[in-house]
Amino acid sequence: MQAQMNPGMGRATRQPAAPRGALLRAIGYLGDHRRNVAITYGTLALATFAQLMVPQIVQNMIDAVTESLAPNADPATGERVIWYAALLILLFAIMRGLFSFIQAFMSQKTSQDVAYDMRNAIFARIQRLSFSYYDQTQTGQLMIRATDDVERLRTFVAQGLVMAAQSFMLLFGALLMLIFTNWSLTLVMLPLLPIALALFMGFGKVAQPLFMAIQAKLATLNTILQENLAGMKVVKSFAREPHEVQRFDAAASDLMAQQLRVNRVFSFLFPVVFLVAQLGQAAILYFGGVQILNGTLNLGEYQKFSLFLIYVFFPLGQLGMIVSMMAQASASAKRIFEVLDAESEIRDMPGATALPPIRGHVEFRDVTFRYLGSGEPVLKQVSFVAQPGQTIALLGATGSGKTTIINLLPRFYDASEGSILIDGHDVRQVTIDSLRSQIGIVLQETNLFSGTIRENIAFGRPEASDAEIMAAAQAAAAHDFIMGFPDGYQTYVGERGITLSGGQKQRVAIARALLLDPRLLILDDSTSSVDLQTEYHIQQALDQLMRGRTSFVIAQRVSTVLSADQILVLDKGEIVAQGTHADLLENSPIYAEIYSSQLVDA
Amino acid sequence: MMMGHGGPGRMLNTETSKPKHALATLARFWYYFKPYWFALVATVVLIVVSTVLQVVAPLLIGQAVDCYLLPHPEACWYATVQPNAEIAARTGALGWLTLILTLVFVIGSFMQGLAFYSMNWAGQYALRAIRKDTFDQIHRLSLGFYARNEAGNIMSRITSDTDTIQQVLGFALLSVVAGILQVVFTIIAMLAANVPYALISLTVVPAMAWATIYFSNQARKAFRATRQQMGSVNAGLQESIAGVREVQAFNREQESIEQFRRTNAANRDANVRAASYTSALNPVLEALGYVAIALVVVVGAMSALRNQPLFGTSVISLGTIVIFIQFVQRFNQPIQQIATLWTNLQSAVAGGERIFELLDEPPEIKDRPAARELPTIRGHVAFEQVCAEYLPGQPVLRGVDFVAQPGQVVAIVGPTGAGKSTIINMIPRFYDVSHGRVLIDGVDVREVTSASLRRQIGIVLQDSFLFADTVLHNIRYGRLEATDDEVIAAAKLASADGFIERLPQGYQTVLGERGSGLSQGQRQLIAIARAALANPRILILDEATSSVDTRTERLIQKAFDQLLQGRTSFVIAHRLSTIRNADLVLMVRDGQIVERGTHTELLAQRGAYYELYMSQFRREEEAEQHAAKE
Repeated sequence: MQAQMNPGMGRATRQPAAPRGALLRAIGYLGDHRRNVAITYGTLALATFAQLMVPQIVQNMIDAVTESLAPNADPATGERVIWYAALLILLFAIMRGLFSFIQAFMSQKTSQDVAYDMRNAIFARIQRLSFSYYDQTQTGQLMIRATDDVERLRTFVAQGLVMAAQSFMLLFGALLMLIFTNWSLTLVMLPLLPIALALFMGFGKVAQPLFMAIQAKLATLNTILQENLAGMKVVKSFAREPHEVQRFDAAASDLMAQQLRVNRVFSFLFPVVFLVAQLGQAAILYFGGVQILNGTLNLGEYQKFSLFLIYVFFPLGQLGMIVSMMAQASASAKRIFEVLDAESEIRDMPGATALPPIRGHVEFRDVTFRYLGSGEPVLKQVSFVAQPGQTIALLGATGSGKTTIINLLPRFYDASEGSILIDGHDVRQVTIDSLRSQIGIVLQETNLFSGTIRENIAFGRPEASDAEIMAAAQAAAAHDFIMGFPDGYQTYVGERGITLSGGQKQRVAIARALLLDPRLLILDDSTSSVDLQTEYHIQQALDQLMRGRTSFVIAQRVSTVLSADQILVLDKGEIVAQGTHADLLENSPIYAEIYSSQLVDA
Repeated sequence: MMMGHGGPGRMLNTETSKPKHALATLARFWYYFKPYWFALVATVVLIVVSTVLQVVAPLLIGQAVDCYLLPHPEACWYATVQPNAEIAARTGALGWLTLILTLVFVIGSFMQGLAFYSMNWAGQYALRAIRKDTFDQIHRLSLGFYARNEAGNIMSRITSDTDTIQQVLGFALLSVVAGILQVVFTIIAMLAANVPYALISLTVVPAMAWATIYFSNQARKAFRATRQQMGSVNAGLQESIAGVREVQAFNREQESIEQFRRTNAANRDANVRAASYTSALNPVLEALGYVAIALVVVVGAMSALRNQPLFGTSVISLGTIVIFIQFVQRFNQPIQQIATLWTNLQSAVAGGERIFELLDEPPEIKDRPAARELPTIRGHVAFEQVCAEYLPGQPVLRGVDFVAQPGQVVAIVGPTGAGKSTIINMIPRFYDVSHGRVLIDGVDVREVTSASLRRQIGIVLQDSFLFADTVLHNIRYGRLEATDDEVIAAAKLASADGFIERLPQGYQTVLGERGSGLSQGQRQLIAIARAALANPRILILDEATSSVDTRTERLIQKAFDQLLQGRTSFVIAHRLSTIRNADLVLMVRDGQIVERGTHTELLAQRGAYYELYMSQFRREEEAEQHAAKE
C-alpha cells in the first residue's frame, strides 16, 4: 500500500546485482588506491609478526632464567640473554606500535578515499539522472545512499576487511606457534576451536535479527517524535497531547521490551564467549602442568602457550563481528550500485549536433507520451505549431497533460511517439546542452541554491556582468527588495544565509531566466503563497519576461489567457480546443466553462 | 585499529563534545536510575566479585607453578600437597587446582553476565523515563519556543542524544566500570605480592594515562571539524537533489559536480586528519604495554639470577615473574578498552546535558494552578488592547482591539508580516499576550485549561500537516471517538470524499510522511474534514494562496463555505469573495488594526483598504464582471 503511494527506487534502475557481487564490486574501488592498500596490508603483516614474536621472546627470557638457576650454570650467560631479549622486546614494541599506527592510519585514509570516490560518483550520477527517475525516487532515500550507506561500506573497508585479514593472520600464526611449541598440548585445546567458532557464528546470526527489530522499533518511535514536532500546531489545536503521549509511551515501551529481549540473549552469550577462552587457559594449566611435571614441557613454553592462546581466541571472537559487518556492507553496496547503475534515458544521441541559435518556431507532431512502466498515455497524439514570439497558454485540469507538454520541450522526458521540432530540428537530434541553454524555465516551485543572490541570478550564465544581472533583476521586479538587504546582491541565501519569501524566490527565478535571454520560455504563472502586493509585482515581471519570446505558459490567470496568441485546452491528454480567447469563447463550450469557473485572479 | 570511531556518518549522530557540568549531569542521571537502585547495587556487587575472581585466577596459576610445577616453597601459600611430594600426588593436586580455577572462571563469567543484565535492565528503564519526560516536555513548550528553535534541530538533538546515551548505558559503561575495577584490583594484587616489583611494573601507567587524554582531546577537536564538513556534504547533496531540475534546465551539471567535489574533498581531508589521532592511541598504548612486560621480565630475571632481593624484599621467584606478566597483561587490556570508550562516555554525558537543558526549558504557556474548564461556548470573541511580542522588545501586535459576535465571519487582511497570523494564534492561546486580554464568552483565555479551550476551536492552516497513517485516521484525529460514518460525512462536507474514493485503498490508504502522495490542495481538504469533524464553535482558517489547481481550489472554497456556517470564524483572507462575505474586515498593518468594517464601508473610507483593493482586487472583480457579461 505504502509502495503504491510512494513508488520506491528500482523501477527505472537496472536489475540489481546479487549482494555478494555488489560487495566485491565495492571492494574493487580499492583498486584505485593500490599503493595505500599494499602499505596497509604490508604493515599489518609486520605488526602481527611483532605481536607474535613477543611471547616467543618472553619464553626465551624465562627459559634463560630457569637454565641459569639450574646448578652449575653460568649466571652471566643468562644475564646476557635477558638483556638481549629485553632489547628485542623494546624493538618489537616500537615496531608493533609504529606499524600498527601506519596500518590503522592508512586503512582509514584509504577508506576515506574510497568514500570520496563513491560520493563523487553518486553525486555525478544524481546530477545526470532524468526527471522520470526523480518521479520515482525520494530525496531522503538518495541522501541515505550517499551518506549512511557509503559510511557503512567505508567502515567495512577500513575495519572489516582489515580485521578479517588480521584475524586470519593472527589465528594461523598463533596456531603455528602453538604446534611448534608443543603439538600434543595444541591437540588438547584444538577441540575448543570449532566450539568457539560455532558459538561466535551463532552469536552473529542470533544478534542480527534482534538488532534489526530494534532498529525498526526505534524508527517507529522517531517517526512519532518527528510527526509531533512537525505537526505541533495540529496536536495543540486539537488538544491531542494526551493521545500523542500515550502513543509515544506505547512505542517507547515496545522499544524497551525489545532492548530487554536483546539484553537477555547478550547477558548469556557474552560470558559464554569469554568463558570458552578461559576454559582454554584452565585446560592448558592442567595438561601443560602434567607435561612440566613429566619434563616434556618447560615453564617458558608454558608461559608462551598461554599467551598465544589469547591470540587464538581473540580473532575467533572478531570473526563473528566481521560476518555481521559484512552483511550490512553488502546491503549498502547493493543500494549504492542501484543508484550508480541507474541509466538516464535522456542522453545525447550518437552524432547529435549542436542546435544553432533558434528563432523560436515550435512544432509538436503527433506526440504521445506515457510514463515509464504505465500503459495509459498522458499525452495522446498532440499536434500544434507555435510561431516565433507567440504566447501559448495551456489550460486544463490537473493531470490533463499541461506539465508534460512543457517538460518535453527541453527534453526532460522523451516523447514515446511522434516528434518535437524546434526551428525544424528534432529535439532528440541535437545536444541536450545546446537545447536547454536556449530555453528559459520558471518552475512553479522555485529552488535557489546556497550562495549570494548574484550567483543565483547568474546561475545559467556565471560569466554575466553586474550590469546585466542588475538589469535582469530590475525587469523581474526583484531589484528593490534585493537592495533592501544590507549586502544587496552579495546577500547570502540558503543554508547559512537568509531565507527569502516565496514571492522573492520566484522573482529571483524570473531574473535568472531573463538573464539567459532565451528565445523560448516556459513558465507556470501560478504563484506560490505570497501576499497580494507581491503577487502583483510578480505578474508584472512575468509579463515583462514573455515579451517578444515564444512562451509556453501554464495559465491560472485570466489576464494570461486574454493576452495569449494561442490557447491550448487540454483534457485527458488531448487538445480539445485551440485558438484565441475570442474564437474559443464562441466555439468551445469546454473553454467557456473553464474560463468562467476555473481561472482565478488571485 | 579497532577504535569505535565510525567516521563522519556516525559522528553526525554522536556529538563527541565535552560535558560542561559533568557532575551535575551525572546527578540528574541518578534521578532516573534511583527507582532501580537495587539493580545498580546488584551490578556493582556482581562486578566487584567477578573482578576479584578475575584477579584470583592468575594468582592460582602462579600458585600452581610455585607449589607443584617448579616448587618454590617460600612463595607457595596454597598447598594441599607437600611441594616435594611424588609426581602422581602433585598431578592430582594440580587437577584439583585446575578444577577450582575452572569454577572461578565459570562463576566469574556467570556473574559478569548477570551484571551486564541488571545494568542494562536499569539503563533501559531509565532511558524510557528520560524519553517520556522529553516527549512530555515537547508538548509543554509553547509555539514561541519552536519559533526560536527549529523543529529539525530539536528532533536531531533528541534522537542523537538519546542514541548516544543508549549506546553507552549498557555494555560500554559496564566495560569501563569493570575495567577500572580490574585495574584497581590488579594493582592491589601486585602490591600485595611485592611492593617494589609492582611499582616498577606500573611505571608505564602515567604515560598511558597521558597518551589517552592527549589523543582523545586531539581527536575530539578533529572530529568537530569533520562534523562541520559532513554537514556541508549533506547540505550540498540535499540542495542538488532538490534542485536537480534547475541544474539540468540551466546546464549546470559540470559546475555543480566540481563544487561538490571540493566539499567532498574537504570532508575527506578533515576525516583523515582525525584518523591520524584515533589511529595513534591504541598502538601507543600497546607499545607501552610491551615495555611494561619487558620491564617486569628484566627486573624479575635479574633479581632471580643474581639471587638479589629487590629493594630489601624477597628474591623474585619464577612464579612471581609468571604472574606479574599475567598481571601486566590484565591491566593493559582494560586500559586500552577504557581509552577507547572514554570519548563515548564523555559524549553521553554531554548528550545528557543537552537533553536536561531541553527539559529545563520553562514552558511559557501553562495552565494556571486554578485554571478551570472552559464551558461550552457560544463563540463571542473579544480582543482588549492586545499586545504581543515574540522576543522581548520586538512587539508584533500593538494594542489590537475588536469584538466578534457569535457566528460572525471576520476577515483579516494586510501585508505579510503585519501580524495577521499572530492575531489568530492568540485565540487558542498559542502565544500569551504581553499586555491586554483575549476573552472568549467573556472569559480570559489564560484562566481556563488550554485543553478545554483548544477543543472548541478548529484550525485549518495553509500547509496542512497530516500524519503517516490512513486517511480515515487522519480525519478522525479531529474527534477520536467518531464513527466511520461520521468521518465519511465530514469528508463529504469538506468535498474530500470524491478524491479519497479514488485513492488506491480509499479511506484506508496509508499516507506517506507528512501526507506525501497527496497534493497540497488535497491535504488541505483532509484538514478541513478533520476540523469539520471536531465541530468547533470557533474556526480559524488560513486561506491558501498557493499552487493549488483550479478545480481543487473551487472544492476548497466550497468546503470553507460549508464549514463557516454558524461558527465564529477568523479567516486570513486572500480572496475577494471571502472578504465581501465577511461580517467584519480587519485591515492590519504594523501590528495594529488600521481600518475595520465591511467591505463596502471600507471602500467608502478610501483609506488603506481602498488602496489595497485598487491595486489587487479590482482586476479580479473586472475579470468576474467580464466573465459574467460573456
